[in-house]
Amino acid sequence: MNALARYGLSRTMVVLVMALAVFMPIGLVLWQSTLNAPFFMPNHAYGLDAFRFIFDDSDFWSALKNTVFIAVSMLVIAVPLGGALAFLLARTDLPCRRPIELMVMVPVFVSPFVLGFGYVVATGPVGFYTLWVQNLIGTVPWNVYSLPSIALIAGLTHVPHVYLYASSALKNLGSDVEEAARVTGASPFEVARRVSLPMVAPSLLYSGVLVFFLGFEIFGLPLILGDPEGHLVLASYLYKLTNKLGIPSYHLMAAVAVCIIGVTFPLVLLQRYLLRSANRYIAVKGKVTRQKRLPLGQWRLPALALVLFWLLVTVIVPLSGITFRAFVSFWGEGVSFAEAFSLHAFVEIWNQPNLLRAVLNSVLIGVIGGGVAVMAYTAIGLASHRKQDGLTRIVDYMVLIPRAVPGLLAGLAFLWVFLFVPGLKEIRSTLISVWLAYMVVWLAYGMRLISSALLQVAPELEESARTLGASAARVSKDVTLPLIRFGLLSSWVLMFMIFEREYSTGVYLLSPGTEVIGSMLVSLWAAGAVDIVAALSLINVALVAIGLAIALKFGVNLHE
Amino acid sequence: MNKQRRVMLAVLAALPFAQAFAAVPAGYPASYQAVIDAANKEGKLVVYSTTDTALMQPLLKDFQKMYPAIKLEYNDVNSTELYNRYISETAAGGASADVLWSSAMDLQAKLVNDGYAMKYATPEVKNLPDWAHWRDEVFGTTYEPISIVYNKRLVPAGEVPKTHAELVTLLTKNTAKYKGKVTTYDIEKSGTGFLFVTQDAKVNPAFWNLAKAFGAVDVKLQSSTGGMMERISSGENLIGYNILGSYAITRAKTDPNIGFVMPTDYSLVISRLMFVSKTAKAPNAAKVWVDYVLSRRGQSILAMSADLYSVRKDIAGQASGDYLGRVLGAALKPVAVGPGLLTYLDQAKRLDFIKQWKQALGR
Repeated sequence: MNALARYGLSRTMVVLVMALAVFMPIGLVLWQSTLNAPFFMPNHAYGLDAFRFIFDDSDFWSALKNTVFIAVSMLVIAVPLGGALAFLLARTDLPCRRPIELMVMVPVFVSPFVLGFGYVVATGPVGFYTLWVQNLIGTVPWNVYSLPSIALIAGLTHVPHVYLYASSALKNLGSDVEEAARVTGASPFEVARRVSLPMVAPSLLYSGVLVFFLGFEIFGLPLILGDPEGHLVLASYLYKLTNKLGIPSYHLMAAVAVCIIGVTFPLVLLQRYLLRSANRYIAVKGKVTRQKRLPLGQWRLPALALVLFWLLVTVIVPLSGITFRAFVSFWGEGVSFAEAFSLHAFVEIWNQPNLLRAVLNSVLIGVIGGGVAVMAYTAIGLASHRKQDGLTRIVDYMVLIPRAVPGLLAGLAFLWVFLFVPGLKEIRSTLISVWLAYMVVWLAYGMRLISSALLQVAPELEESARTLGASAARVSKDVTLPLIRFGLLSSWVLMFMIFEREYSTGVYLLSPGTEVIGSMLVSLWAAGAVDIVAALSLINVALVAIGLAIALKFGVNLHE
Repeated sequence: MNKQRRVMLAVLAALPFAQAFAAVPAGYPASYQAVIDAANKEGKLVVYSTTDTALMQPLLKDFQKMYPAIKLEYNDVNSTELYNRYISETAAGGASADVLWSSAMDLQAKLVNDGYAMKYATPEVKNLPDWAHWRDEVFGTTYEPISIVYNKRLVPAGEVPKTHAELVTLLTKNTAKYKGKVTTYDIEKSGTGFLFVTQDAKVNPAFWNLAKAFGAVDVKLQSSTGGMMERISSGENLIGYNILGSYAITRAKTDPNIGFVMPTDYSLVISRLMFVSKTAKAPNAAKVWVDYVLSRRGQSILAMSADLYSVRKDIAGQASGDYLGRVLGAALKPVAVGPGLLTYLDQAKRLDFIKQWKQALGR
């Protein structure tokens, strides 16, 4: 009652609902990790057996070692490349900047599962490109299933994450210092290394922590590429535990999840701290009077070649692999395209009700689910908008919590919530269950979109409405919301793409009626229906491409 | 008027069928009519199964034709998922499957052993071999030999192993050629693969030699049949061990790269097990379904359309396990349905076996 009086009914309600959605699944995971059997079985007891088991399991330690190796490699690869890419695109006269800027975003919005699969069919031991190179030079200089390859691919596909933060910081810099360096005879490379990039060091640091953190949650790529040689990471180890003992080992899975959260949550807090200090740092940038692009001179073409090579490796190779595989019924050494060409996979999708439903559901969850998610995020955003009190601080931290939980496990936790919380059982077999899980998993991302839209509204506009006697609700409805209309629309498009991309959260929620392309892919891959996986992946990429096209048409800023 | 006439016609057309099909099948006791009536009244049946919907389509359609009043909801999920979903849904007290039908024989046996199955003496049980049913609760529905699959383009006919011993010889003699080119289940990720290998170890005294030969050629472990098949077809791998024969037969029909053999020294045979849930919402519809799947009619459709050999003793022609028995004779070793399946669900025993297997592979 006290809280109600202090914070108002609607704000309190919004925050309470949010707290339920965040803490129920997390609480279940924590509780489950302290039991020695699934919590719903009659014979469970408390104990630390689960942790004892995984700490005794050599697989756990090798998974941990691989995860650290991959996360560190990602950091080492993505930060310099992402910084360089941002410098080239934001500060220099590199040719073809517009189309490249667009292509750069592809790895962010295409599911890592789809990319990983693309690498297998394109560059696996008998992949399309592998066979081609083998014919050309007689040998294949790579092994896509090795741990360094996985780390390299993970690093290259996370370059855009660094690029995003570095480029938005670089765009805010004045070009006077760079010009000064150039005039005194520094090469473009030196300008980047000694002037521009150091000036955006906080953003680079922040994105470095982000990439390292994403490395700890990485699942799709190692699931596919690590399988043939048995390279595990923490998330795929967790997935493997589904089967290792023959019967479900939820307690072990929960214990692994707790270990992952133990690493990721401090990283999330560190990110939050860095982001704040980064903003402060940028704030002292001085006056940005004019920006001039730095001429690259003789480096223009080599720089372009480098960027195009990166695009080739990270975008074109896997996506062309998928496209090709979707149209052949079998493939391998000595098989010609004409002989193997078939539309069988697409016909199959059309004919199998569950596959067709997966495609339709994916569109639904992206368009409608994405839209409703934006509304929910907006409600939360408004609840803490322009109010610096305890409730806002609680919301701030609560937003971060789901961020630390791997999507795979969040999905499992939501399954438990839907099964065992009275009244939610009916929702379980509907798409709403998947949507709720997606919404909580992407809470932090969505809230960032909304709050950056809200921050663009100048406070005096709302204040003047208040002075004229409008209620808080009225101000939100008639002033704030109309002003951020465009921001909300673009958030919708971005949420659409993110929801299309998501694959791990739906895995345990998959049941007739809740199929989405992402989780179907994981399930079909496990069953080995490779041609269907290829065709569905292609459809998935097409949906994302439609999202991108719409975003472009409306001039949505993808760099949120 | 026109519309009325059409409705009339439809009713007239449906009448004789409804009567003919909802009648007691030949050889069943007259009291069976009560079961059918109750099933029709229940009106809905939920089946969880590990067999692809696409493969089952003809069977499902035929069942619907026979019992149009029972709405059939067929959910295909993988075997672990089936187990997990069923026990958690049952624990939550909500709606779950009426019938569970899975190729993971050990998990099915565990559910039966843990008391999840309803007792049901199906009139069809006399047509099943003794190994294929247990305690009047769980029934084998198919007869599926395990095979060795190979790439026809890249493995010359002379090298194709016909027995387990020949496979060992091939791998030890041609270690260089087959290095990294042999694939089998990762038994830590696949319950089915685990079941096959433990049965191997039981039947074949020389099994651990085979495991060592696998280790010497750096065998590639996969979590699914489809994954192995794909890689054999593409030539990334050449030989696949312990692959379900039914999948090999189906794939070989459309994929010219795939060849398969049932080993002639011994071939394991597994069966998809089916039981009715004790907490079934539609126990009578479930009974009708079980009887239908085990009937001559159901078994023939399974064999014809899904390449799943019939488990019945009385089906002639190439589709029956009986026929296979005449070809392979005593080499066929069906995995018996019973408590023997539970051995390795004991955590310590399972981990020990995995350890031994990994050691033999040199992992």
